[in-house]
Amino acid sequence: MTGASRQMKLGAFLWATGHHIAAWRHPKAHVTAGIDIDHYIQLARIAEAAKFDMIFCEDAAGLREANVGIASQTSRSIGFEPISLLSALAVQTERIGLVSTASTSYNEPFGLARIFLSLDHLSGGRAGWNLVTSASPIEAANFGSTGLRPHADRYERAREFATVVAGLWRGTDAGGLNHDGQSFSVRDALDLPRSPQGAPVMVQAGASDVGRDLAARTADVVFTAAQTFEEAKAFYDDLKGWLAAYGREPDDIKIMPGVAPVVAETEAEAREKYEELQGLIPDDVGVALLSSYLSISDLGRYPIDGPLPELPASEGMKSRQALVIEQSRRDNLSIRQLARHFAGARGHWRIVGTATQIADELQARFEGGAADGFNVMPSWFPGELDAFATLVVPELQRRGLFRTEYEGRTLREHLGLKRPA
Amino acid sequence: MDNGATMHLAVSLLPGNASSNEPPAGGPDFSTDFSALARFAQKAEAAGLDMVLLADAALASGEDAPNQPVCFEATTLLAALATVTSRIGLVAAASTIANQPYNLARRFASLDIVSHGRAGWSATMAQDPREAANFSRPDGFSTDEFRRRTEEYIGIVQGLWNGWDAEALLFDKSGGRFHDPEKMHLLDHKGEYFSVRGPLNVARSPQDMPVLVLSGLLEPDTDIAARAADVILLDEGSAEDTKLHCHDLKRRAAACRREPEAVKVLINVRGDVVVDRLELLFQSESCDGFNILMPPSALDDFVDRVLPDLCRRGLFRQGYRGATLRSHLGLAGGDR
Repeated sequence: MTGASRQMKLGAFLWATGHHIAAWRHPKAHVTAGIDIDHYIQLARIAEAAKFDMIFCEDAAGLREANVGIASQTSRSIGFEPISLLSALAVQTERIGLVSTASTSYNEPFGLARIFLSLDHLSGGRAGWNLVTSASPIEAANFGSTGLRPHADRYERAREFATVVAGLWRGTDAGGLNHDGQSFSVRDALDLPRSPQGAPVMVQAGASDVGRDLAARTADVVFTAAQTFEEAKAFYDDLKGWLAAYGREPDDIKIMPGVAPVVAETEAEAREKYEELQGLIPDDVGVALLSSYLSISDLGRYPIDGPLPELPASEGMKSRQALVIEQSRRDNLSIRQLARHFAGARGHWRIVGTATQIADELQARFEGGAADGFNVMPSWFPGELDAFATLVVPELQRRGLFRTEYEGRTLREHLGLKRPA
Repeated sequence: MDNGATMHLAVSLLPGNASSNEPPAGGPDFSTDFSALARFAQKAEAAGLDMVLLADAALASGEDAPNQPVCFEATTLLAALATVTSRIGLVAAASTIANQPYNLARRFASLDIVSHGRAGWSATMAQDPREAANFSRPDGFSTDEFRRRTEEYIGIVQGLWNGWDAEALLFDKSGGRFHDPEKMHLLDHKGEYFSVRGPLNVARSPQDMPVLVLSGLLEPDTDIAARAADVILLDEGSAEDTKLHCHDLKRRAAACRREPEAVKVLINVRGDVVVDRLELLFQSESCDGFNILMPPSALDDFVDRVLPDLCRRGLFRQGYRGATLRSHLGLAGGDR
């Protein structure tokens, strides 16, 4: 392998104390992460020193868990609002991309386009928007809704939203935008200059059919969850195949599955680290988390050591529900086992091992045509991000699979994306 | 010297070129230079001013908005400035049309934590005639509707800011208790324009609540302002009118069971700053201080010429006594 060959893209997915549900209880986890901006500045600098393409922040406009007893045993009920967080990080970093999630259901395109363009200017062209349609009824209750909108309606609104945002970022000649559509009307062009990278990067995560269609039309990066190589490969080939219909090249979208690594100097040590965290998950928290991923509220009333019951199709996250059900049937897992398993990596791909083992696995998916890169989900902060940066990244660089220096200044340049016309 | 003996001073950063006071010759000259804005805030902080108010270009209209856009939306700019300053208050304008109340409350709660208790929200009772058309409301709101909606909106935002008690976060790793569920409260607001369940998913402010700065008041807005605002910005009228207006606000605040000192009235000052005039208004108890509206380039003159004169006359305190914006303003809340 030489430096001239294709290299993988890496995102550092930051989430308060860590992606593992019990992360905050880890003896060395920074437990006040959700109220400590200096913690995030430290994480951003670790990721930037390791040459990650971007920092990635998820978001929800509401609590994660309706049951307050469960919620109070996790660290996820409080944290920074991501636009304010990334705006602060923008002037405390120089090169790394800054991507935040924001909902098309609870924003208006003019305001959202303007905020992300402002972040893009503050950072010199390093901003990206991860479009979500918001599947949580807890969020809906903060915005006057009596219930969650049906899946198809949310995506209809999202499609119009994304089109208007792209138009606002592209800019218009005198005369304004004058969009008058089904869900939105916008008269003026934005009062900010054009983005330093042409337009902020568009990221998406929906994996259902309408989600894939929207991604094929508008996304630059797709974040996805895939447990096995076969699932990842099937998704990759399918989505890349949709692009031609919209006049786009396969390389116009970077597909970056989530990966939850636990790395140590030896495999035994890595296993021990992982089991330490698993042991900190209370059963009721694990089951509640699994229930919310399946978009049902009452999984707790089934025997915890029995199998997953038959479930109705949900209006929430269709694609993720299918993934969980498939895994439970395939591996014959009880609710408790499944809950523990998903609590650790939230349905994403987990690898526990040495830097060599983790690099082997990433390399196999990357070179096997199942990923353009990975969104790295450290189990707790700052320790596991630091471990990935100091153990796995140098191994990937030694193999020529990852950059040793930023090639450009903007997020589009890092990702090798075209500048939009 | 007690708190009432010296005036509060804010500077409003008008949209404009950060490095020059001259209007651009060849069309709009975008101020993309964050470092110039950072120097502005740092200079204001070195001078001990209470706060910088950041106008938002999409909101500003009329004489406060030279046809010269800035590059940064105000809340994103506030977050960035918070990381390069440590004492001065930072207040951003944000629109009740452009944002849902939950999202706005959440953004400012987060900004208050980013800034360690130095954030404020500048809201206006005046509807921008163009804005609603960009937010899927081509017909806007009638004046009366806009007033009722804004009042409800402000109540929601302040209610959400109060959703987590002090000491709600336990951080008890071994006991497995991250927060105390008894100290987190739903808002359960159902009103004419909004229904919002809450709570925010952002912790309580280090100063208990971000500061609410209210402007654009018409006569019928006075009670709303007296009930909810921490700081009220008034345009300057005659000395007599200004005094009456200020006293009226304090009297109505008292009627809402608030201490008169819990509401600070600042007079907007445009153009040349005349020290004798500020002294007259302040000494006659017509206001608690001033909001000086200036393009970035005018700060040097204000700090180097006007401030020393105010300090010599004993009208302005030197240095900060507390760490939060509320403490600068002499308002209750948080660390004092």
